[in-house]
Amino acid sequence: MELTLNEKKLLIALAPVESADAGALAERMDTREEAVVQYAHLAADRGLVEVRRVVKPQYGLTEEGMAYAGKGLPERQLFESFDDRIAMQELQRHPLAKIGIGWMRKKGWIAIRDGIVEKTGDAPVGPDERAFQDPGQGSEGVRDLIKRGLVREDEVISHTISITPAGKALYSRGLDLREEVGTLTRDQIITGAWKDLFLRRYSVETPPRKIHAGKIHPYRRLLDEMRRVLLDMGFTELYGGIVQSSFWNFDALFQPQDHPAREMQDTFFLDECWPMPAGFERIRDMHEHGGETSSTGWGGVWSTAKAEQCVLRTHTTCLTIRHLAEHPKPPVKAFCIGRVYRREAIDPTHLPEFEQLEGIVMDEGVSFRHLLGYLKEFYARMGFEKIRFRPGYFPYTEPSVEPEVWVDGLGWVELGGAGIFREEVTAPFGIEHPVLAWGLGVSRVAMLKMGLKDLRMLYRSDIEWIRRTPVYHPETRQSTDEAG
Amino acid sequence: MPIITLPYTYLERLVGADRAAILDRLPMFGSDIERIEDDHADVEFFPVRPDLFSVEGVARAMRGFLGIETGLPVYEVRQSGIGFSVDPALASIRPFLGSAVIRNVSLDGAGIESLMGLQEALHWAVGRGRGKVAIGVHDLDTVTPPFRYLASPRERSFVPLDYSEEMTMEEILEQHPKGRDYAHLVRDFPRFPLIVDADDRVLSFPPIINGELTRVTGETRNILLDTTGTDQKAVQIAVNILCTALAEAGAEIESVTIDGQDVPSLAPMERYVSVQECSDLLGVELTPDAIADLLQRMRFGAEPAGSELVRVLVPCYRADIMHDWDVFEDVAIAFGYDRIGADLPRTFTIGAGHPVSHITAAVRSIFVGLGYLEMIPFTLTNERVLFERMQRPPSPSALRVLYPISEEQTVVRTDILPLLLEALQANKHRELPQRLFAAGDVVLGTGTYQKAAAVSIHPGADFSEAYACADALCRELGLTYRAAGSDDPAFLDGRRGACVVDERPVGVFGEVHPDVLLAFDLEHPVAALELDLRAVPGYPGQPDTPSPGAR
Repeated sequence: MELTLNEKKLLIALAPVESADAGALAERMDTREEAVVQYAHLAADRGLVEVRRVVKPQYGLTEEGMAYAGKGLPERQLFESFDDRIAMQELQRHPLAKIGIGWMRKKGWIAIRDGIVEKTGDAPVGPDERAFQDPGQGSEGVRDLIKRGLVREDEVISHTISITPAGKALYSRGLDLREEVGTLTRDQIITGAWKDLFLRRYSVETPPRKIHAGKIHPYRRLLDEMRRVLLDMGFTELYGGIVQSSFWNFDALFQPQDHPAREMQDTFFLDECWPMPAGFERIRDMHEHGGETSSTGWGGVWSTAKAEQCVLRTHTTCLTIRHLAEHPKPPVKAFCIGRVYRREAIDPTHLPEFEQLEGIVMDEGVSFRHLLGYLKEFYARMGFEKIRFRPGYFPYTEPSVEPEVWVDGLGWVELGGAGIFREEVTAPFGIEHPVLAWGLGVSRVAMLKMGLKDLRMLYRSDIEWIRRTPVYHPETRQSTDEAG
Repeated sequence: MPIITLPYTYLERLVGADRAAILDRLPMFGSDIERIEDDHADVEFFPVRPDLFSVEGVARAMRGFLGIETGLPVYEVRQSGIGFSVDPALASIRPFLGSAVIRNVSLDGAGIESLMGLQEALHWAVGRGRGKVAIGVHDLDTVTPPFRYLASPRERSFVPLDYSEEMTMEEILEQHPKGRDYAHLVRDFPRFPLIVDADDRVLSFPPIINGELTRVTGETRNILLDTTGTDQKAVQIAVNILCTALAEAGAEIESVTIDGQDVPSLAPMERYVSVQECSDLLGVELTPDAIADLLQRMRFGAEPAGSELVRVLVPCYRADIMHDWDVFEDVAIAFGYDRIGADLPRTFTIGAGHPVSHITAAVRSIFVGLGYLEMIPFTLTNERVLFERMQRPPSPSALRVLYPISEEQTVVRTDILPLLLEALQANKHRELPQRLFAAGDVVLGTGTYQKAAAVSIHPGADFSEAYACADALCRELGLTYRAAGSDDPAFLDGRRGACVVDERPVGVFGEVHPDVLLAFDLEHPVAALELDLRAVPGYPGQPDTPSPGAR
C-alpha cells in the first residue's frame, strides 16, 4: 500500500481525535477543506478512514430580511409606531404600512373599526420573531420566514472523517513523512539528486487519463486500402472534375439520350453548358446508326443541345472514358475512387453523394475471362474470398456481369457491376482493344466491413465513433499484407 | 425495374418443367428472384429484356435455357385483311403506328393478368412512360374495320374507359385519372391522336386512354392491337413482344395493312457473327457448332456458316440485340458464367497515384500529427451554411444545382470550413477539445479543385493556435507564404490573417467570429484555418479536353 504524503499527513492529524470534521482537519493541516476531502477519499479507498457526507440546512437572511435586521419584523415596527389607536389614513403613511397592517390583523394585534386602528392589547413575541433574531438556529418559526421570503435555506455539505482500525494500526507503526517528488526536474536527473529523493509511487490500478489521438477517418482508411490494392495491382490513379457535360457523363458512354437516368428526377442538372469537343460527330453517328461498327445504334436524332448540358457526375466512368480518349493505345490500367451524385433524398441507406470505385484494363487480347480474373483478385484482396458471377446489365458494357461475394450471416451479396465496354463506346475514340471495366459503390463495402447501419455516419460523423474506432483492424491488415 | 409475377401452375404448364428446376436456373439466366411465395414467385429482369416481362416470355426463354425446346420460335402470321390508314397530319404529333390482330385468345385469370402486366411493363421500359410508345388492346368484335389513325380536333368526344358519359378529349385530360397522368404528352398539340373505326366510333385516344366501347373482358376472343409512338423501332418491338407472348399462350396472329404495308411480320433478323471474335471476347475457345448450340438455347436460330462464321437469326422480340457483342453475351450466359473461369492477363503495368492524392495524403498526415481528427463532409450544402452563417457575401461563382432535392442541398461547397463548423455543432455534446480537419473537393464555377480546412474548439482556442497550425501546415507542405492581414468577416477583426503566395491570398486563419460561432450554435472559441491546395508545389495543371478519334 503506497500512501501519498497527504494521506499520511491526514492520518497523523486524525489519529489523536479519531473523528473530525473536514474543516477542522483542514485547519490543523493548514490546507483547504476540499483538499482534505480528496485525501480522505483516497485513504478511504484503502480502508484507512471512513468519510461520512453530512448535508445540513443553513439559514440566512435574504436581501429583504437584511433590511429589517435589528429592527424587527415590519408588523412589529409598525405596531410600535403608534400608541393605542390611530386613524387608518394616518397609519397608511408609514413606509411599512403596506406589509405591516395585514400581518398585524392576521396575528390579532389590532382591530379596525370605522377607519380607526386599535390595539387589542395582546401582541406577544411569536416564534417567527424569535427565529428572525437568529435565523441560523433553524428554530420553529423559520419556516414562516422562508415562506415570507425573509430567510433563505441553503444546503451545507460537510464531511466527517473517522479513522478505521486499519488506519490506526498503520499510524501506530509509524509513517514516513519525507517530501514526495512527482515529476523529476532536469537538474535532479543530471546531478543524480533523484537517487536521494523520496519518489512518489504511482498505482497502475488507477486508470489513466484518456487521450484522443489525431486520426484518419475510418471510412478514409477503407478508401485508402482499396486505393492501395489497386496501386499494388499496377493501376494508375485518375482524378477529375465533379462537373461534367452530359456528353462525357452519358453520350460518350453510349447512354441513349432518352434514358431515364438522364431525366431531372435522377440526375443533378446544372445551368451550365460545355461546348462539344472536336470529333464529337463520331459519338453522334454511333448513337444514330452505329457508326462503322456492327451496331444499329439507338436510331433517332442525337441532340447536341442535350449533350452540352452539364451535370454533377453520376459516376466516375466519365473520367475513365476521358482517360481512354487521351490514351487509346494499350496497355491502360487505371482506377478512380471519387464522389458521384444521384438525385436521391437522404435516408439511412440512400445519399445524394457517395464514393464510387472504378477500374479498367485495356490491352491486346484481354477477354471476359480476364475480367472475371481481375474481379476475383480484387475482391479477394478486399477480404472477400468467395465470389460468384451472374449475368448483369449495364448500359455501356457487353457482356456484363454482377459479382456477388459471400458474407457470413448474409449469404451472397451483390457488390458492384462489371463488363466489357461496348464497341459503341470505344470505337469513336479509336480504341481497338477490349476495355474490361468494373465499379462498385464503396459505401456498400463500408456497410459490410464496418458493420454500418446508417450511411450518414460516414459524412456527418459522431466524433465519439471515430475516437472509439481503432486505427488498426486485424482483418484489414491481413488482406493488405497478403497484397503487399 | 418491373417485377414479374410468375404463377407456378401457369409457368409449369408453359415451360414443361417443375418450379424447382426453373427457379434454380433463373438467377444464372440473369434474373433476381425477389420473393418466393406458395403459389407464385416475383422476379426481376433487366430493363433491356422487355420480352421477359410476361410469364409467356419467361417460359419461352426457360424452355431453351433448360434444353426443353431450343432454337428460334417460329410464329405464323396470316393476313387479316383488316386495314388501317394514318393521317399525315400526325407526322408532327405522334407519327408511328403498329398494329396486329390476335385471334382465339383465352383470357382466363393468369392469361389476362400476364397481358395487363406486360402492357404496363412495356409502357415503362420501351414506352418511357407512354411517350415513346403507348399500347392499346381492343375487343375486335365490337368495332368495324377499316380503322383510321387521325389527328382529331380537341373537342371530339367519346366515352372513355371506366366512364359511362361522353367526354371531350380536353375534358378527359382534365378530369379522367389517366388523362391527368399523361396530359403532358399531348397537351401542347393543336390536334390530338385518335383511332376510329369505319363507323367513326372511337377505339382509342392514344397515348391517354381507350374508349369504353372496345373494353377487353374475360369473354374477349379476338383482339385488335394498336401501338402508337414517336419511335418506329420501339413501336415495332412493342408489337412483336405482345404478339409473340400471346402466341405463346395459344393465340393466332394476323397482320394488318397500314397504308398498304403488311405488319407485323414477326420474322427474325439475320446476322453473321465471327467465331474468333466471340472466342476472343469471352476468353473461351468455341467451335462454330458450340456457338450455334449455345445460341439455340437462348432461342436464337443459329447454324455454322463455314468454319469462321455463325449465321444467327435474332427473334423479332429481342429489343436488345444491337451489336454482335450482344449476341456473344448470350453465348456466355448459355455457356454459364460459372464455367468461364477467371484468369489474370500478362499485362505489365506499374501502379501510379495521382498528384492530387499525394497532396491530400500529405495534408492528412500533417493534421493527424497535429492531433486532428479527419472528417469527410458532404460536398452538397446550401448558401445559409456557406455564406449566411459565415457572414460572408454569397459567391456568384458558387455552383447551384437546378432541381435540388431539399433546401439543405442546393449548392456544391466552395469552402470546407463551414462544413467543419457544422460538424462541431453536431458534436457539441462531445468532450472538448475537439480538433477536426478535412481535405477534399470544392467547386467554383464548373471547376473542381481541393482545399484543406481545420477547426479547434476548446476554452483556450485562440489566434495563436490557428496561426501556429496554419504555419505548420504550410511548412510541412513546402509552401512558402507571406502572412498578411485579412478582412474575412467569418473571423474576428484583429485576430485573423491570410497566407499569401505570389501576391494571391491562398489561405485564411484566425479566431472565428463570435456571431459565426453563435450561428453554428457553438459556445467556445474556435481557432480555424483553410488553405487552397492549388498553391501547393507540384499541384497538377488542368488537363485539356480530349477529343474522340483525334489520333
